[in-house]
Amino acid sequence: MDAIAQDTGIDRIELRRKNFIPADAFPYQTPVALQYDSGDYEATLKGALFASDYAGFEARRSAAAAKGKLRGLGISTYLEACGIAPSAVVGSLGARAGLYEVANIRVHPTGSVTVFTGTHSHGQGHETTLAQLVCEQLGVPMAQVEIVHGDTAKIPFGMGTYGSRSLAVGGTAMVKAMDKIIAKGKKIAAHLMEAAVEDIEFKDNVFSVAGTDKTKTLADISLAAYVPHNYPIDELEPGLDETAFYDPKNFTFPGGCHIAEVEIDPETGVVTVINFTAVDDVGRVINPMIVEGQIQGGVAQGIGQALLEHAVYDKSGQLLSGSMMDYTMPRADNLPNISVGTETTLCTHNPLGVKGCGEVGAIGSPPAIINAVVDALKQYGVRHINMPATPEKIWSIIQAGRPAAAAE
Amino acid sequence: MYDFTYQKPGTVADAVKLLGADDEAKALAGGMTFIPVLKQRLNKPSVVVDLSKLGLSGISVSGNTVTIGAMTTHATVAGSPEVKAKLPALAALASGIGDNQVRHRGTIGGSLANNDPSACYPAAALALGATITTDRRTIAAGDFFHGMFTTALEQGEIITAVSFPVPEKAGYEKFPNPASRYAMVGVFVAKTAAGARVAITGAGQGGVFRHAGLERALSANFSPDAVAGVPISADDLNSDIHASAPYRAHLIGVITKRAVAKAR
Repeated sequence: MDAIAQDTGIDRIELRRKNFIPADAFPYQTPVALQYDSGDYEATLKGALFASDYAGFEARRSAAAAKGKLRGLGISTYLEACGIAPSAVVGSLGARAGLYEVANIRVHPTGSVTVFTGTHSHGQGHETTLAQLVCEQLGVPMAQVEIVHGDTAKIPFGMGTYGSRSLAVGGTAMVKAMDKIIAKGKKIAAHLMEAAVEDIEFKDNVFSVAGTDKTKTLADISLAAYVPHNYPIDELEPGLDETAFYDPKNFTFPGGCHIAEVEIDPETGVVTVINFTAVDDVGRVINPMIVEGQIQGGVAQGIGQALLEHAVYDKSGQLLSGSMMDYTMPRADNLPNISVGTETTLCTHNPLGVKGCGEVGAIGSPPAIINAVVDALKQYGVRHINMPATPEKIWSIIQAGRPAAAAE
Repeated sequence: MYDFTYQKPGTVADAVKLLGADDEAKALAGGMTFIPVLKQRLNKPSVVVDLSKLGLSGISVSGNTVTIGAMTTHATVAGSPEVKAKLPALAALASGIGDNQVRHRGTIGGSLANNDPSACYPAAALALGATITTDRRTIAAGDFFHGMFTTALEQGEIITAVSFPVPEKAGYEKFPNPASRYAMVGVFVAKTAAGARVAITGAGQGGVFRHAGLERALSANFSPDAVAGVPISADDLNSDIHASAPYRAHLIGVITKRAVAKAR
């Protein structure tokens, strides 16, 4: 995009704007099968330009130049297909697995809840976010919700965590299973309170008969289900334990704008990331702190890819970067303060309105960093740099560009 | 790790005896290189002789000489008021070795005896013209380093202390390997009454070395500007996935300039 902007003379922000799908054009049918359900790319762009103080950049570039540093700013606007995925679609593309997700919700006789999920939490905080869903839908306190994942001796057959799918697909399976819990609970409540099922309402952990003051808590109903002395045993099985599978109707489409600011030491070629701003639309945010952490982690990974990480082989195929002594992982001192913001449009095809946040950081950040490096080196006639932009690579570019610059 | 016998003698004489009695015996100082080597089964010692109870740690100042016991940790050197006052460049160097855990285990004697081609301390010892004292003799730093992982030490010979003459000014700067954080190019500069000395670590195929051209230029004018124009050959420099020899040669100039700029 930046190379096109350079060749056409169109401002790089305006060029991106011209290519955006406008917010009022959703749902947007692409020419290549996929239909984007929602998005507002102008909102994330605007948010990132504001949060990064884009307007003040040229002053910062001049200040950096005064201390001998080359400063550059890079923008990336992106969207990705997440919440994978409709099984029929991936099947038609050659995948040999279904991509549904499963949840088993077990309400105990005391009213506490255990969720057995087919997704897996290896640091993403599902124990918190998924418990929030139970809290929200069933009105059970967080402390009384246990999330069980990863133990294949306990959980139903699920598909796991990847492709920013846990909440969009696994969370939706939970919603469906909890709908079944509420539906069965209403039948039990109707029996216990001698009312018609249609008159039973459920809200904040309590079943009530519309227009009366009769109520039963979820724990009352659950106890009756497991100790079925007074129970519609002819119509209903005992227990309050439901499983649901969800095969998504569509991918979700998170998108956003990332802006990186870097400084290059022209003597050594070292790139320092000074500021990083990410404004993403991940759909509805269930837990803001976890979303921020997920995006920060993704950005860290993206910075690693853009500047540091490299699997190097010699001509005979021997891996030369075979240990952490040679393979450069990003560490805290490689990272800037990462400013994270969200702009929300809801996903229209899952009940939670969520799009997924696990990958957006790693998707938006590498092009933003590389665009910033290229911008910092524009006086050397650079249009593109292959990742990782290591110090020696930058130094070589500066060395090669120097005579040309001097000749001008 | 292979099986070995562990010994923790209480005197230098006992340690020397244990190490001298067996060609396969190895001395353990801080273990920051040796323990990983053992864990990877790259070494199979018969006896590991732990030097931690020999009373070899401590820092003393006598006139214009700073003497550091061989088992003194990097953290102790970095935090020592005496070293900070007399040889601030050495304290700063020690504060930049490895990470906090390494600095609290790793020792100056261990670093010098190992002579890792990317270690920081050899540059300081060579540039400052340190004297290395062992259980049996003293060795000038100029005679001590014999190329990568090789020194003048004999089998069973133990470093007991290192003495640094205090120069007029000194500075150390390193360009770390982005992955390991060892010196990819580390330069220690010292301004002494007899002229400038420049020792470079991390860059040379044969480990730490002095650079005559830079020493000449800085002896004439100990200032960052004096570095410009000094030819630095890429011959005999390391090339690896992080830096080619020509890039290292370039960095030697830049890092030397910065070391001189911060010298005090």
